[in-house]
Amino acid sequence: MPALPKDMVAIAIKTGASTRAQVTTPPRFKAGDKVVARNINPPTHTRLPRYIRGKRGVVQHNHGGFAFADTRAHGLGDQPHHVYSVRFEARELWGDGAAPRDAVYIDLWEPYIEPAA
Amino acid sequence: MNGIHDLGGMQGFGPIEREENEPVFHADWERRIFALLNLTIAAGQYHVDEIRHAIERMAPADYLMTPYYVHWLHAAEDLLDKKGVVTHAELEQRMAELAKKGGK
Amino acid sequence: MDEHSHTEPPSEPALRIRALESLLVEKGLVDPGAVDEIIELFEKRIGPRNGAKVVAHAWADPAYKKRLLEDGSKAIAELGFGGLQGEDMVVLENTPEVHNVVVCTLCSCYPWPTMGLPPNWYKAAPYRARVVIEPRKVLTEFGVDVSPDVEVRVWDSNAEIRYMVLPMRPAGTDGWSEEKLAGLVTRDAMIGTDIPKVKA
Repeated sequence: MPALPKDMVAIAIKTGASTRAQVTTPPRFKAGDKVVARNINPPTHTRLPRYIRGKRGVVQHNHGGFAFADTRAHGLGDQPHHVYSVRFEARELWGDGAAPRDAVYIDLWEPYIEPAA
Repeated sequence: MNGIHDLGGMQGFGPIEREENEPVFHADWERRIFALLNLTIAAGQYHVDEIRHAIERMAPADYLMTPYYVHWLHAAEDLLDKKGVVTHAELEQRMAELAKKGGK
Repeated sequence: MDEHSHTEPPSEPALRIRALESLLVEKGLVDPGAVDEIIELFEKRIGPRNGAKVVAHAWADPAYKKRLLEDGSKAIAELGFGGLQGEDMVVLENTPEVHNVVVCTLCSCYPWPTMGLPPNWYKAAPYRARVVIEPRKVLTEFGVDVSPDVEVRVWDSNAEIRYMVLPMRPAGTDGWSEEKLAGLVTRDAMIGTDIPKVKA
């Protein structure tokens, strides 16, 4: 691709580069579902932080389909998946020392989560 | 990867240092690398996921000790070299030429 | 290689970047005019005053506030803002029951169209490490004391959704123009590390 010319800069910034993408399979999860973040430890790129892995949360919302960062980073294609907003209680993440009402919300691609028992 | 960038929940980091009336860019080199990385993305050389992973692969001590935009420089150099677009050798040579001319 | 201090970068990045820029321009990958244009855009034109306008409009217009909370990107676009690193926005409402604060623990993701580029503290290790595990302590350091009755929600922007906080409208602002209201909205208030106040 050629260089972006000066007079196209403002338009390009305004347009952006959304990674929203169509997912061909129906969503596995819906708001209210109890899930557990998988304990994956790939040496490659992932957007599932260690502090969430193996922890139990509740799906809040399906943001829709997005290209999967884990594959995109390695030239393995967009491989879109549903991305869910998931709530994790602070005490689930950090133990009883955490404030009882507090929570972390994080966006998880479908391959990051499994149904919780 | 379980890299140094995955900081959530780590302890031992001290107070959050804030600069009053912080400028958007602290130096001209920050401006330039901000522009170059974004424009090379726009030119289709790589995208943000590759950049993030390149930064994650920095040596942990370097990641923590360098100014933020040095991470961007690392990513640009690493990816452009891997893709054969601007090799490390070319860059070193150009740096030597510029240094000789007396500019910094 | 010499050790770098936190605040004073060595000359080497500057030289490396000059070399890089000259090679990229020579190879036709970067237009020098575009370099200046994109710098100007983010240094002078795009910044938290955009987000402050969004907040002020939501405070003044309940119907807009409803739209903003339902579909952040769409409502923000009504005011002419949007684009790179803000293509998919969710706006988080602070209430008497809930205080929201935003972070990117893994890197530095931040909603550029409404807030410009993030400050160094947002991108550095201490905030990213600490705010998910001890948000109340972090907020206190910022001068924000959250009552134990209030729920603190920390939003980790690890995917491509970008978050912005809609702070509560302060008391004593009845009848204020949107311009005056926007003047109360700090950048930190839209991250969640500040609360708008009317100066005494």
